[in-house]
Amino acid sequence: MIGLLRGELLKSVTTRAVWGFAAGGTAFAVLNAVLIAVASGTLDEVPEKKEALSGLPVLLLLWGLVGAAGEYRHRTAAPAALAARRGRGTVLAVRIAAYALTGLGLALLINAVAVGVALPLLADQPGPALTSGQVAGVVAGNVLALVLATVLGAALGALIRGPVAGAVVLLILALVVQPLLSGAWEREANLLPFGAADVMTGGTHDTTLTVPQAGAVFAAWTVLAVLVAVACERRRDLA
Amino acid sequence: MLRSEGGFRPWSDDREMRAAEAGGMTSQRDAGPAITVEGLTKRYGRRTVVDDLTFTVRAGAVTGFFGPNGAGKTTALKAVAGLARPSAGTVSVLGAPVGSVVPDARRVGVHIEPCGAHPARSARAHLRALALAAGLPRRRVEEVLEIAELTPAAGRRVGAFSLGMRQRLGLAAALLGDPEILVLDEPANGLDPQGIRRLRTMLRERAAKGGTVLLSSHLLAEAAQTVDDVVVIDRGRLVHEGPISEVESLEDVFLELTGGVER
Repeated sequence: MIGLLRGELLKSVTTRAVWGFAAGGTAFAVLNAVLIAVASGTLDEVPEKKEALSGLPVLLLLWGLVGAAGEYRHRTAAPAALAARRGRGTVLAVRIAAYALTGLGLALLINAVAVGVALPLLADQPGPALTSGQVAGVVAGNVLALVLATVLGAALGALIRGPVAGAVVLLILALVVQPLLSGAWEREANLLPFGAADVMTGGTHDTTLTVPQAGAVFAAWTVLAVLVAVACERRRDLA
Repeated sequence: MLRSEGGFRPWSDDREMRAAEAGGMTSQRDAGPAITVEGLTKRYGRRTVVDDLTFTVRAGAVTGFFGPNGAGKTTALKAVAGLARPSAGTVSVLGAPVGSVVPDARRVGVHIEPCGAHPARSARAHLRALALAAGLPRRRVEEVLEIAELTPAAGRRVGAFSLGMRQRLGLAAALLGDPEILVLDEPANGLDPQGIRRLRTMLRERAAKGGTVLLSSHLLAEAAQTVDDVVVIDRGRLVHEGPISEVESLEDVFLELTGGVER
């Protein structure tokens, strides 16, 4: 099982996609920190300052989705299953675990950049400074949201099996459906995956959910998606 | 451009080679079938691709699996490999039914087109990931790269490979576990004449050592020099099964059985 995990990890870091998403994620972290901390005027409240550290879960959701769906697009899932001597569901579960680990690496990198860029800029702002505990809380929420987003993306990728179709569906959900739902029922929409992720990363404040509660909601959606993906993988053919 | 595993032996006459092998292979040939396909049916929606297909593959022999385009060869091979679930019927490999768990890489090596490598990944990384998954040592990757004569290109992205190189990479992946059984879907596609000859030599050598090969091909003249047994299917159904020695011209028999003469 460890060998299979190492094999899947090797696969996830030996295409250029992972470096592209790492570059995109860090670029977003820098841009977000600069825009919030400098370009948006005076920040004198703690929640406003926390926003300068917020991550972009949809990016890692896209990374997991494109990577996992690419296994079917490029027919790499079949030789992996043949080599692994395990059931297809087990192979997919291990692949998703490998994406969780790469997602963790990307999340730590992105958050390190965000903290490194944002904190010096926020030091010039008036009002109470973020305590180390508050920074740790924001980073923990961000990292957990980004890892769960990667796992959810990998599960959806295995279900949809097409990177382009999956990316289109994901972007429609994230950029159209979720904002519409949030506009109509903001608090209830935070019980959906994107809404919960927003709460975890400090992207929304109008919620009755705490960050741990939002984490539990997002984790529940993610576990459900993984279980469905693994169950479907057991029944479906590999091309 | 495949290097035989036991060192390249330039056999000038493959029928002579097979005759030489036959003396030492009595035990394998008398053993039970390596692969048994019974009543295999595969449907995709209302379309029946493989229809009540039954055949066996002898251990220690090279069996050619032939049929026109769309006959269901690849689908049947996927069922043998455990990649496709039969709609009906059973497949057994070395006596064990192929279920949701695919056969061990050390027992069955499979190459079904395309080669199953990500175009942005290097050949070495592709094989290394498979070796890790199979629990095989790293040196085995270098060995199969050597057998497939891909060592100089091992660090290049697979997307930059020619069709022949991708075929050799697929074969290298199938050989990783040094399996008892090889299941190969049109392995000679894209290979140059030298590569085809070396592939033939490698397959014959494996059979001589007791290995089993099930291969599909459209290159009938070439396959006739390689195989011991012939299975021909048309529209998903078995139309012929028997030793190559009973077939005077594989091409004539193939065309007659599959209606190719009239087509």
